[in-house]
Amino acid sequence: MVAMDVFDRFLFAYTIGTHIILVTMSITLIVLISIAEFIGIRRNDQHYLTLSERLTKVFVISFGVGTASGIVMAVEMINLFPAFMTLVSKTGAIALFYAEVFAFFLETISLVIYVYYRKAFTGKYTHWILSIFIALGTIGSAVFITMVNAWMNSPNGFNLPQFIATGQVTGVNPWAPFITPTTFAQVAHVITTTVFTGAMLVGTYFAYKYLRSKGNEEKAFYTKGLKLTGIVSIVGIILSGLTGSHEMGTLLTSQPLKYAALDLNYLPGTNMPERLFGFLQNGKFVWGLEIPNVQSLLASFETGIKELPGLTQFPAQDWPPLYIHTSFDIMVTGGLLLGLFLFILAIMWIARKNPFGSKYMLYAQGILGILALVVYELGWMTDEVGRQPWIVYNVMRTSAAANLTPSLLVPGLLIIAFYAVLIPLTFYFFARVFNSRSLSEDLSGKEPSGGVNY
Amino acid sequence: MVLTISLIFYASFLIFAVFATLLITEIMGSVLMLISWDNVKSRVLEYIVPIWEVTGTFGVFWVVVVDFSFPSILIPAAHIYAVAIMLFLILIVARNASIVFGEYIIKRGWLDEKKLYMAYSASTIALGIVVLVMLSSIISGSGVDLASGVFNIGTWLSSGGSYAFILGTLLIGVGLAPVFYGLKPLRFIALPATATGVTLSILSYYLYLPSLVSPMILVPAILTLLVPVLFSVDKAYSIVTNKLVFATVSVVILFSLNFLVYPEAFGKALPVDSVTTSGPMASAFFTITLIGGLLLAAMLVIYLFAVKRSLGGKLTTASGK
Repeated sequence: MVAMDVFDRFLFAYTIGTHIILVTMSITLIVLISIAEFIGIRRNDQHYLTLSERLTKVFVISFGVGTASGIVMAVEMINLFPAFMTLVSKTGAIALFYAEVFAFFLETISLVIYVYYRKAFTGKYTHWILSIFIALGTIGSAVFITMVNAWMNSPNGFNLPQFIATGQVTGVNPWAPFITPTTFAQVAHVITTTVFTGAMLVGTYFAYKYLRSKGNEEKAFYTKGLKLTGIVSIVGIILSGLTGSHEMGTLLTSQPLKYAALDLNYLPGTNMPERLFGFLQNGKFVWGLEIPNVQSLLASFETGIKELPGLTQFPAQDWPPLYIHTSFDIMVTGGLLLGLFLFILAIMWIARKNPFGSKYMLYAQGILGILALVVYELGWMTDEVGRQPWIVYNVMRTSAAANLTPSLLVPGLLIIAFYAVLIPLTFYFFARVFNSRSLSEDLSGKEPSGGVNY
Repeated sequence: MVLTISLIFYASFLIFAVFATLLITEIMGSVLMLISWDNVKSRVLEYIVPIWEVTGTFGVFWVVVVDFSFPSILIPAAHIYAVAIMLFLILIVARNASIVFGEYIIKRGWLDEKKLYMAYSASTIALGIVVLVMLSSIISGSGVDLASGVFNIGTWLSSGGSYAFILGTLLIGVGLAPVFYGLKPLRFIALPATATGVTLSILSYYLYLPSLVSPMILVPAILTLLVPVLFSVDKAYSIVTNKLVFATVSVVILFSLNFLVYPEAFGKALPVDSVTTSGPMASAFFTITLIGGLLLAAMLVIYLFAVKRSLGGKLTTASGK
């Protein structure tokens, strides 16, 4: 029989792992919708306007399923980790959730007006401005939720030693969790990587559709779509790289144990090599590649710190699972591969060549979009597993927070099965609504393609 | 301090009343769609399709407000309602997925708009029943063992109050549905169904715990009965079928039921103030509520403005036109 705390962790990891796919889609889609609508209005380009309308329909589905999934997350946290949520609720971390709800309202109400009451706005730019509000709400929600995660990584706003000693929450400052040592680094990295990943994923679909296009009209339409996702991806990966590097520096100062595990530093020291893949065997690094001094150089460049932490400085029972080193390396390698592709894409555009005239670039876009999602999921996995065995770093263990009620098992398994069907079905519907009318019908602009089909 | 704690309770109960109102209007539409899809679909979908997202958001709002307001109840609640909460989650995903797929589906093969809206209706009604089961136990304590953190559905089912509560609430929903959706042909069922529902609801409180029935019950009872009465009067028809008016009255009715769980909930076994947040957290609650509430109010004004302009100046399409 599986231990209930392990089941709780698995169930939550599974649901959040699927939920973030929807979130990634929602955040990116609204960015793409807004840009496409703006270009469409500005240039009076029906392709971009159609793109914006089609993506809006996909966004509504992503939002609808994502909202439900978000409720699952919110309630699961209470149900699976009640002690954690009690701590959250007695400290300012709950204020972040609360603020997130208002961002969510901004998103929801703006979206409802944007989609269902577009006739209420005669000015084209007025309607477009609503997309900015939706984006602010969508991204705002993500920012506040990421701030909760940052608080879990670097808790503050209450008397920590007192809580650890007695379990009593005292000395509460409800506003402190809004700014923790890791907040900025984490929010910046999450938002940029999310938009990047979503743009690559949408690009994958456009590449697929381009390859299947028959007429020139369709090719022109998807070329513009790919141009849009390509530019967002290029900006996204540059910012992801910069924020990722900054986040590693923040880890070094705020979560040195996680840092040591990510770089597989058994002993602390200076002039540390960068270790690629490999494992620790009796304290020795094996089956991997070491690049001398690089880790120290990078750390010194980012933070000025020369003495890097090692696992032996911390009790072994507090170590996270060391496979996060491998997941981290796959993530970085994947990121570099994606960067190389986008670098080539940028060079081709600068050289005024059409990159998507090449079948190989389209295939690459198709495959690498999926890789971007894998990299993104690995990033979250590395962050979350890297904090284990703590649910709140150095304050509350995950096992102590879990709900051990065995009656959770059956409904939990039902949720797993339900999601396994729901997510593929949702993506199927994404594709179906995107193509619900022929391109020529959409381009004719005879009637708005959004709305209800009753 | 006591006043602050009370205010937190009333604020969270008000948010619950808004969420419950939105959910009830969806459940009423769901019942109608299941009974008579062809006759009511345009009237019901016209309302539900834009609003279901807002209902979900208010659901999240209420969950977070409960987290914020009553931190000490979270651990017992997670144990007591573990299964009910999981069922709720599955149903909410099913509800959202089916309505959003139904909204955009173009018939291909066996799956069509009607089937998806039927799935939405069924999951929304089931969701409502799960919520009602939880609510009835929060009010009465029926089936709940607070000390050991267990909810026993068998014990809950063995109480006559449970049947009266569920049936009474559903009948009120059936009675008020024609009012909310402006379905004149169903005028004849509005008052009998609502009156029977109100009677059964009061009976349920009595069966659970006689002390739950106080003179205060007259306020929601009279207000609820007033709605179908006005529906039958031609001059008042357009007012009572106005969705904004109906929703406001519904929020007032639901809010006036707060005495059932305050100052004690779970059949007078749990003093609510003892689990309510206080101190600096209470100040933070009010500050964020104020700022967020202003933002929300502004958004709702823009929303109503957009609806009004889209409908050519009217805030209802259910005026029998």
